[in-house]
Amino acid sequence: MATPTKPVREGIRGPNIASADVQLPAVRDYEQVDREIGATLGFSRQWLWGLLVAVTGLLIGISGWLFQIYWGLGQAGYEPPVMWGTYIITFVFWVGIGHAGTLISAILYLFRAGFRTSIYRAAEAMTVFAVMTAGLFPIIHIGRPWKFFWLVPYPNWRLLFPNFKSPLVWDVFAISTYLTISTTFLFIGLIPDIAALRDKEMNPTRKRILSILSLGWRNSDREWRHFAKAYMFLAAFSTPLVLSVHSVVSFDFAMALTPGWHASIFPPYFVAGAIFSGFAMVWTIAIPMRKWFKLEHYITLNHLDATAKVVLFTSMVVGCAYMIEFFVAWYSGVRAEQEFFWNRVFGQWWWAAWIMLLCNMALPMSLWSQKLRRNPTWLFVLSIFINLGMWFERFVIVVPSLSHEFEPWQWGSYLPSWIDMSLLIGSFGWFFMWFLLFVKQLPIMAIAELKEIVVPRNRFAHAHGIDSSGHHDPNGTATPGEHD
Amino acid sequence: MSTESETGVKRRDFLKILGATGATTAVAGCSSERVEKLIPYVTSPDNTVPGVSQYYATTCRECASACGVMAEVRDGRPIKLEGNPDHPLNRGAICATGLSAVQGLYNPDRFRSPMVREGTALKATTWAKAYELLAQKLGEVRSKGTAGNAVFINQHETGTFPGFLDQWLLANGMPAHLSVDPLAPTATIAANQKAYGGAWPSLDFAAAKLVISFGADFLDGWGHPVPQQLDWANARAKLEGAPTLVYIGARRSLTGLNADQWIAAKPGSDMAICAALAGQGTIAAASEASGVPAATIEALSTAIKAAGTGVLAICGVATVDAVECGVMVADINKRAGSVGVTIKPAGGHIGYNGMSSYAELAGAMLRMAAGTVPIAFVRHANPAYTTPKSAGFVAAFNKVPFKVSFSSMPDETASMCDLVLPDHHWLESWGDAQAIPGQISLQQPTLDAVFDTKATTDVLIDVAKKDTALASRYSVADYRTWYTARFPGGSAAFASALTKPSVVGGPLVAATQRATAVGTAAVMANGGGEYFVHVYASTTLGDGRGANKPWLQELPDPVTKLAWQSWVEVHPQTFKKLGLAEGQHLTVETPAGKITAPAYRYMGVRPDTVAVALGQGHTAYGRFAQNIGINAYDLVSHSWDSAGGLALSASKGTITVGVDVSKLVSTEGSARQHGRAIGQVLTLADLIGGGGDAEEHHSIPGLPSQEFLPGLRARVAADAQGEFANPKANSTGMYDPDHSSGMERRRWAMTIDLARCTGCSACVTACYSENNIPTVGAPYQGRALSPSTWDERPGANIIKGREMAWIRLERYYEGNENTENEFSADFETRFVPMMCQHCGNAPCEPVCPVYATYHSPDGLNVQVYNRCVGTRYCSNNCPYKVRYFNWFGYGEPERKQYAWPEPMHWSLNPDVTVRGKGVMEKCSFCVQRIRESEGRAKAEGRPVKADEFTTACAQACPSRAIIFGDAADENWSVSKLAYDRRAYHVFEELNTFTAVVYLKKVSYPAPASPAKA
Repeated sequence: MATPTKPVREGIRGPNIASADVQLPAVRDYEQVDREIGATLGFSRQWLWGLLVAVTGLLIGISGWLFQIYWGLGQAGYEPPVMWGTYIITFVFWVGIGHAGTLISAILYLFRAGFRTSIYRAAEAMTVFAVMTAGLFPIIHIGRPWKFFWLVPYPNWRLLFPNFKSPLVWDVFAISTYLTISTTFLFIGLIPDIAALRDKEMNPTRKRILSILSLGWRNSDREWRHFAKAYMFLAAFSTPLVLSVHSVVSFDFAMALTPGWHASIFPPYFVAGAIFSGFAMVWTIAIPMRKWFKLEHYITLNHLDATAKVVLFTSMVVGCAYMIEFFVAWYSGVRAEQEFFWNRVFGQWWWAAWIMLLCNMALPMSLWSQKLRRNPTWLFVLSIFINLGMWFERFVIVVPSLSHEFEPWQWGSYLPSWIDMSLLIGSFGWFFMWFLLFVKQLPIMAIAELKEIVVPRNRFAHAHGIDSSGHHDPNGTATPGEHD
Repeated sequence: MSTESETGVKRRDFLKILGATGATTAVAGCSSERVEKLIPYVTSPDNTVPGVSQYYATTCRECASACGVMAEVRDGRPIKLEGNPDHPLNRGAICATGLSAVQGLYNPDRFRSPMVREGTALKATTWAKAYELLAQKLGEVRSKGTAGNAVFINQHETGTFPGFLDQWLLANGMPAHLSVDPLAPTATIAANQKAYGGAWPSLDFAAAKLVISFGADFLDGWGHPVPQQLDWANARAKLEGAPTLVYIGARRSLTGLNADQWIAAKPGSDMAICAALAGQGTIAAASEASGVPAATIEALSTAIKAAGTGVLAICGVATVDAVECGVMVADINKRAGSVGVTIKPAGGHIGYNGMSSYAELAGAMLRMAAGTVPIAFVRHANPAYTTPKSAGFVAAFNKVPFKVSFSSMPDETASMCDLVLPDHHWLESWGDAQAIPGQISLQQPTLDAVFDTKATTDVLIDVAKKDTALASRYSVADYRTWYTARFPGGSAAFASALTKPSVVGGPLVAATQRATAVGTAAVMANGGGEYFVHVYASTTLGDGRGANKPWLQELPDPVTKLAWQSWVEVHPQTFKKLGLAEGQHLTVETPAGKITAPAYRYMGVRPDTVAVALGQGHTAYGRFAQNIGINAYDLVSHSWDSAGGLALSASKGTITVGVDVSKLVSTEGSARQHGRAIGQVLTLADLIGGGGDAEEHHSIPGLPSQEFLPGLRARVAADAQGEFANPKANSTGMYDPDHSSGMERRRWAMTIDLARCTGCSACVTACYSENNIPTVGAPYQGRALSPSTWDERPGANIIKGREMAWIRLERYYEGNENTENEFSADFETRFVPMMCQHCGNAPCEPVCPVYATYHSPDGLNVQVYNRCVGTRYCSNNCPYKVRYFNWFGYGEPERKQYAWPEPMHWSLNPDVTVRGKGVMEKCSFCVQRIRESEGRAKAEGRPVKADEFTTACAQACPSRAIIFGDAADENWSVSKLAYDRRAYHVFEELNTFTAVVYLKKVSYPAPASPAKA
């Protein structure tokens, strides 16, 4: 009865193996995968309520934006010299959220991290929608949003090109590239699953739409070969984006000479923060999802444990960056910098800085405990704290820096208005609307990939005659990778 | 081919036309702009070229000084006032109040027609009906034989009008008019009369070594602000041997902040100090009365002796013993022998001649209250607002059966009147003024009347013509005809005089001489509160006259930096004692009345004194004035000094701390420099000795990578311009003399001499006027606080830091860090005018994604409004924080926040774009003036001459602190000043290579420091 791969028992402090060989012991065969993942697509009342809440939030945001466009940006809470506020904070926040998806789907794919399989689809969808949300904010934030396309280089009668020295132009490229690549990556990964849905679909209209989306996938060997290559290519293509996009976003700050911004540590610091916040958002989404859709045996505690380790690590990177900022301010001898950093923790905005330090540095330290790493409730609570903390991290970067610059006469304050808040609510409405629509239209987990790690029932049924209740055959020796 | 020959239209042409018409239709159809028609003159008025300004010399009537101004008239409308450089009084400078006159002219709340009372409201009427009513009432008064009891209250002015008016009144059997001016220092005038035999001797600061000011705020508005400031700044600019200033008073005013020493004497104790200095009292008694250490008074006495004939003591206190105090101050001068040296009775200013005192007005009030006055006239004066409530003007005035106002604004007094015959604004009317003996300045209309108003002079003539008894004496068409006929030399001389700032002459008709002496002071009960209540005239709003002009409301008070509000100044020590929060409401109560206003922490006021400015608290006077703050006249008791001047200050009162806290409408971030070396100073010793600078600030370690003053010639600046495409640029930078545009020869630059700057802020208003800067503080300009409520606090936008002043006056304090626990009069103030520094290596430029801000080859940091999408990154990256964002559509007429409600937009400068919402703006170095001068020079086939033109701020500056020009051309003054011993750049360490060069302030040792003595 010796088994080459010993499944980890759920809920027990077992060996700490959450890495490449995460298994799904409670998933027994392909039909179960089809059935259970397919079940997530079914209509439910709770889902509709959720969607309504999201759409209401979105409408609040839209009406706030229209109000703001009509009257001018003065309706937001800006208090010069704080010329950037919640919109930029929220922009960076959502871009950061997006990073976890690409990290999980691309980098972890390249590193063959097994725990990615169950969560990558959700994370990838999250990435796309987060970037879609983020991309709106620079437009919302500018004074004349109807002229935003002037940031895009295109031949025009004004004979003007954007200023390629400006980090904001780099942003345009970074965000649009990121959105393009992550959407493509999500879509390519979806093709076999869409085909699977197509085959089961009875409604002719939906079937037709799914047929088009599946690009005529027929599950042939050749198609799989091309698919695997394309997927690998896109994963490799996306990998640098994980690092570059948020680095570029960080340049918005690091390239300026504003005290508190002008620091070379910003790119790695931002990337770590992005991954950190992204994983927290994955929890925020995946933990309720696994419960409501009864997918606990797909997103197991081992998965959560593995992601918790990533969060713990990135939390430490971020915390280290915070400390280094203080060190650099001291070491630089620049008075404006030193005063700013003193002010950051003990001045006007002390509460924001301490929220940030508590949520991003202190609370994640709880993840040293395996018990807590394997406690979905705690992880969910922690994810909310981290989301909050990461929003405040951007707040601490944007607002206190601007309010306390070189010129003391122009030191100021900042208080978001109800318009800022409605757009913040709107951004969550927008994000969750897309996500909720997504979960009911397309599989939230990669069916094809899940099947790769599930031991095929038929093969064993014939060869080894396992019982019909579907108990995993301890004699099964195959791992999916070897067979396919 | 056949079709072509048949129709004559080539296929290519057809397509071209099709494309062109299609595009035109599409463009016209898609355009969101309103279609506006430009219609050229069929017959152009004489000398009018559309788009070219004409300048009319006239005389400013905003205060009694009567400076010469030039009205810049574009297409028939005055758009800006500038000082007349040839006028002997103001020599080209102008103050904020004078600049704002156009907002009085174009004020949307002016009376638009004559008004007549119907029930409780004033209703519009026609001039014919108004004349009829007035004639009827005059007839009634005459038939009853009560004309001799009539009262005519006129805002004090000099020139021919007072005499003309008195003649008319006399012809109607009425007594001579009362010429009132609440701002005039009646006591000083009386004391001057007594001591020097003239109302206002000229003050020669240049000859002075030691100036001692007893509450004489000669830089705030006391006396004749512009000439005094010019003289003071010129004297101070000598640096070595410049006069030092000691300010004695309970509150450190703007003049006090410019002083080298503040002696914080208790209100009303000036007399005791004077007595000690004049040898008529003991130092111990003075110290006892004033709360000033005896050693300081001793030292002052020594300093006076040391200064010899260089002493210039002036007195401007407004207490009941002000006249006696003034006489005693004059005694200090006399004993020092400085009369005729520093203070020159000959050739003084005569703007205050013929003025009535407050006591005379009080007499008229008594008669009105007694019900004996049958008819009262008020012109421009506003006694319902500018008299203490306890004096009971409103009740008395209401007893007058028929009240006529000639006011052009619906002020408090006009609102009570039965008939309003709105006068022209002075920019619409003929007149004259006399400020300098033997010289008369003419005043001429600069446009047709904006509204259906009539000049009072013409009204008087018209009314007289309707009266059979008077018709023969007034058989002239109008005042102008009347005036020209009497003008020495006739109409030809008159026409030529109009082009001159002033001509030899005097009023054509002398005003009736009145007995001015009142003789005795009237002292009302002085309550026994714990605090002295010091009421002073606002530097920006005066006695409240300025409150209807948004520029003046928006202009932060030069001392407190508050705008659009009233406040109570409380010393930090008292602040702490009372446990106050900034902006907490304080009720100040004196026997005369009480006011409630937010508290402002000010270390320039004695801990036992609270100070309140006049100017706000209007209940009428238009949308910009109404319902803002409190009227400090409510605190003033109905007392006067022996010259009849209202005793404003030195009453005692109590303070009650309220519950409410309102945010202060302040433009100040931090009042301390935090070692950032923005306003730098050089001690006199270092300046003379050539020693190391007292303050070597570098907030960033190390030295700038370029040699000193590289900003004007920096190579790196080329990078900002992208000039590396030009191979020569690598070696010569953007200032390559051979560049095709020719602009590279220039580097527009500016020097700001902090030793001259007094912080008066005239430059700020000049910039508003020149550059169409919107005011944002009016109560209707706020934002939505919720979907249904708007922020209607006055100055709500300024509370949010959204003021748009392209140039701002930063006021930094040095010293007195422990003022909360310990009162000290010893602190220094540095005023720093801060505007776009036009960096050679501008941090704002590379970050703009759309090239909305870029560098021009002649060194300007240019902002292209049309190109701006409003990312505001430029502002974030600007170390000087001089970029301003259009948060609302301040320039869009259909918007709530519109800054120039009709017809105020007539004052807009057509050379400058009115910025739309969502774009960034900033100081342009008046690029429109640069280009205009270049264009003019080109048209005249000559190069631009050195110092040919200047920016609006430099032009207005009454301290002559700002010099603008081409730093690359050694003929311009700026190119020399930029290399002055005192020159520095702000934040030089950031390698921004700014084009604005500051010249360090020079600090003088305290003249009466006990240690020195």
